[in-house]
Amino acid sequence: MLTMTPARWLLVLSLALSLLVAGPPPAAHAQAGGVTLNLVSWSYGVEIVRDNLGKFQQRYPGVSVNYSDFSWATYHDAMVARFVSKTPTDVLYSSDHWLQEWAAAGWIIPIDESFPQVRPYLSEYSPFVREALTYKGRIYGTPYYADTFIFVYNTDHLQRAGFTAPPATLDELTKQAEAIKAKGIAEFPIVLGWGQQDPFSIESFTALVFAQRNGLLFDKDLNPVFRAPGSAAEKVVTWAADALGSKKILSPTSLQAANVDQIRALQSGAATFGIIPSYSLAVLNDPGQTQQAGKFKIGLMPGESRATVGFIRFYAISSQVPRRGKEAMTAAWNFLDYFGGKTDGEYRITKRWSLEKGLGFAQTALFADKDIRAAFGKWADVDMLQKQAQLARAKEGMTPYYGTWDVFSRAELHKAYLGQQKPVETLANMAKKWEELKAKAK
Amino acid sequence: MISERSYPYATVLPVMLVVALFTVYPLLHSVYLSLHENVLTRPLDNDFVGLQNFREVVTGYYFWRSLWSTAVFAVMAVAAVTLYGLGVALLLNQVVLGSALLKVVVLLPWAIPAVISGIIWRWIFDGDYGVLNGLLLVTGIVDRYVPWMSQPFSARLCMTVAHVWKQGPLAAVFLLAALQVIPAELYDAARIDGAGRWHGFRFVTLPYLKATLALVLIYETIVAVATFDLVYVMTGGGPADATAIIGWYAYTEIFRFLNLGHGAALAIILGGLLLGLVLVYLRALRAEEA
Repeated sequence: MLTMTPARWLLVLSLALSLLVAGPPPAAHAQAGGVTLNLVSWSYGVEIVRDNLGKFQQRYPGVSVNYSDFSWATYHDAMVARFVSKTPTDVLYSSDHWLQEWAAAGWIIPIDESFPQVRPYLSEYSPFVREALTYKGRIYGTPYYADTFIFVYNTDHLQRAGFTAPPATLDELTKQAEAIKAKGIAEFPIVLGWGQQDPFSIESFTALVFAQRNGLLFDKDLNPVFRAPGSAAEKVVTWAADALGSKKILSPTSLQAANVDQIRALQSGAATFGIIPSYSLAVLNDPGQTQQAGKFKIGLMPGESRATVGFIRFYAISSQVPRRGKEAMTAAWNFLDYFGGKTDGEYRITKRWSLEKGLGFAQTALFADKDIRAAFGKWADVDMLQKQAQLARAKEGMTPYYGTWDVFSRAELHKAYLGQQKPVETLANMAKKWEELKAKAK
Repeated sequence: MISERSYPYATVLPVMLVVALFTVYPLLHSVYLSLHENVLTRPLDNDFVGLQNFREVVTGYYFWRSLWSTAVFAVMAVAAVTLYGLGVALLLNQVVLGSALLKVVVLLPWAIPAVISGIIWRWIFDGDYGVLNGLLLVTGIVDRYVPWMSQPFSARLCMTVAHVWKQGPLAAVFLLAALQVIPAELYDAARIDGAGRWHGFRFVTLPYLKATLALVLIYETIVAVATFDLVYVMTGGGPADATAIIGWYAYTEIFRFLNLGHGAALAIILGGLLLGLVLVYLRALRAEEA
């Protein structure tokens, strides 16, 4: 029988401790004769991602991919934790919200210097996409998808309320919503995804601001013009506070709703109007998901300019990759090129997302693609979709501190909507925060 | 071979190393971070700034608001958990038939991870499809769905209910254990002296429970003040920062504002606050025992 002397106990404990401290072996690293990439994404269409990964690995047999995903609402925070803890992360999803923040922190790298072959793609992108992919003149990725915020309405509700066309301005929206409410068609005809935790909420708000006359948030020197009396932002905040408070046409659940909750409210027929990323219209008009399918249409954003926000989600390379050497860099570029670029002359993956999930695209020429037109035509008026996309602008104020300002602003906007403070106070607080962040960044 | 004299030290050393690694090192590192500029989007600026982070945090926009929210939540949560725990403990102390099963059922929420219970309650309270609204509508208590988590007060109330469901069982177990050691003769004597149920509770039960109640209050105050997970999954601090309690604020500073210096300073302030609360309660407890 083996007897454990104190020295042996100590040895066993020390070994156990060493194993504990050492942790698992690094996951990201070259297998025999190949490279392993760690891909991190948010949880959307995971089965499609996995299938695409299989095809990618067939095309590049020397590259294998470990895949992890996190929910959209927690993705930013999860990635911050990964970057700071240096958890192996090679290729990842990112968003124009976070590009400048992550680039300034040194977590993602520009790709155009190492891989100039990305440049020819740029001319095929919508202008807002080019702008949104760029930080300090450098390109940081290839598009996963690019989309616009669109205004949608339930045609059945409008007809029953006696309207033949969707609202063209915020005033018209209010009038139509009041009529729909008065006729008992929907108690709260408008629902928005303005929950404090949803990163989409600031984009939806910005889209409404852009749609108004002089719809700007910042000037070219990044000064906050939304604070000026009578600004488009003031008009939107005042409208929302009235719609929620005195007029009761904006659903109170908007303040807890993420995009998915907004979609559910529209699908159930409880609401008539919403502002959603355009791909969500495919879900709204999917007969497999709702009896209201086929009733939802796009109206240009309500406001004098009818403009909206165009946004981009993209594939990026983490700054861990260059340290792993040229082979890893090449594998990472191959990944970005396969997923966000052309394969055998066509945007294969981009097109797949569009056909199967209705995701928008950065490449304007794809609006003419007959397969995409046919697929999109099942759930949207493609010409209207394109018209709204042509009026799309990249979000303003894209700086390393935009993310901080965004989180701060979501709560401030809630305070105005709930009547806890006046719209001008909210906008003054948002402007003060912006200036404070801007001054610190200098 | 290790000498007999050094043997105790040698056997304790690995544990001490683990404690140092997971407790002392993070604590010291937090102190270091709190005294340096550390904004992740400015990775090259890591100057020693003394107490500047503490000053900026305390004079900043959020601190007093989040402290107020924390105080409101802590008062609601501690009172509710204690009353719930006491009520359940009194019930379980009396029921004979099926009390074993009841104890398991009552304890169950405590065994469920806080994040899971937060998600369950978020769904229950959902303003569009929550089961609570469904029940209230069917029973005619409300005439339409109520957006519970879209108003500051009701959002706090929802969080408190979820917190009580999760934390109440532990308080009940503590108090039940204390109830079960109260000598039955004391109640007999009280009855002979003409005491009814209320007086038996007031003059026999309560004095015996004082020490345990103090323990429950200490523990539950600490848990309430340090709550983070429920905010994370239920409200995200909203609406209008109504549920942005101090633990959430520290998280936001680090993971959303990317300011590790501020986050570390806040965590240290929060730690000091909790330590202060513990000392106050312990002093009160000792005064009772004296």
